[in-house]
Amino acid sequence: MKRKQVMRMVLAVTLLTALVSPATAKGDDFDAVVKAIEQFYHVKHQSLPLLARAGMKGARTVARVRGGDYKRIADAGSVRLVFFEDQEFNSQGRIAGFKASIQNALNEAWSPLIATLSAKDEEQTYIYIRDAGAKFHVLVVTIERREATVVEATLAPAVLATLMKDPGEMGKTLTDEAAMNDPK
Amino acid sequence: MKTLFQTSLKFAAVMLLLIGGAAITTHAQGARLQIDQLDSLANKASETVDVKLDERLMQTTAKFFSGKDPDDAEIREVLKGVKGIYVKRFEFEREGEYSQADLESIRSQFRNPGWNRIVSVGSKKEISIEVYLMQNGDQIEGMAVLATGAKELTVVNIIGPVDLNKLSKLEGNFGVPPVGDAIREREKKK
Repeated sequence: MKRKQVMRMVLAVTLLTALVSPATAKGDDFDAVVKAIEQFYHVKHQSLPLLARAGMKGARTVARVRGGDYKRIADAGSVRLVFFEDQEFNSQGRIAGFKASIQNALNEAWSPLIATLSAKDEEQTYIYIRDAGAKFHVLVVTIERREATVVEATLAPAVLATLMKDPGEMGKTLTDEAAMNDPK
Repeated sequence: MKTLFQTSLKFAAVMLLLIGGAAITTHAQGARLQIDQLDSLANKASETVDVKLDERLMQTTAKFFSGKDPDDAEIREVLKGVKGIYVKRFEFEREGEYSQADLESIRSQFRNPGWNRIVSVGSKKEISIEVYLMQNGDQIEGMAVLATGAKELTVVNIIGPVDLNKLSKLEGNFGVPPVGDAIREREKKK
């Protein structure tokens, strides 16, 4: 009886570990970064369906991947996207502290590629890269005075090489291509 | 007994590999500067750029620079053997936003064995540029550029063998600022 209980406990722990580990490993650095932004700036991200329901014309809403201009990301695979809109982003002279908090939110598998910061305008772009076998996961955080975006995409090395020619523009290109105006 | 001998041999081989690997890594990292201590300057800077390209990323992306485009082919040539590019650039609205201690935290590293200053141009009024090479015999193991002005500070650190004659091809790519312009202008004035 006691042995059965132990076996059940081991099974339960194994199942729990199996359930929790992938979520933690995959999950979620993207969510951790979103939370880091919320905690540092005291803002709240908006869910995409809510934005879409509100009919915010012209708002960059959802990563609707299609051909044409957006083919580069479409070829790459999945895209995750979160917006913060119409909220105050003010680091109060501690912009370097925000950079550190983003770094702390990510596990060591992510390598920082480029960070551009403009303390006066509160404009910041952070690009992190993580090895994904034959491809790369790319995480882009863009902060402006009144809005912010977090994008995670999987890119083929050839696409990454093209974007890396101008790392300064890479974040903008990725975000623009992941996020598009809702045509409705 | 034989098993114990074989195990010992395997253990010794693994240890040798580990020690050898550690020695190679230490040597290769010799040209890598510690520059993260400058990060707090971002609070005062009007513009900050921080680029970190490690070896794997460099070599993966270098392969995709097409041989058809002459510029791409030249970049690919320069990148051969490069193990990393690290750049920190700060622009300030006012003078005196970074300190001598900030500069010293970089310059002190050039006093380590292997580093030699090969270029030093500029004056207090202009941007000063210092170029350092880390050499092991004839082999270039890395280079660094320290560009300082009243309102700006740039550190570029390239790890691995660099062909200085082709270095200009990297300017404007991978976040490497056009620091060579100042050197060329200075040479013209001479």
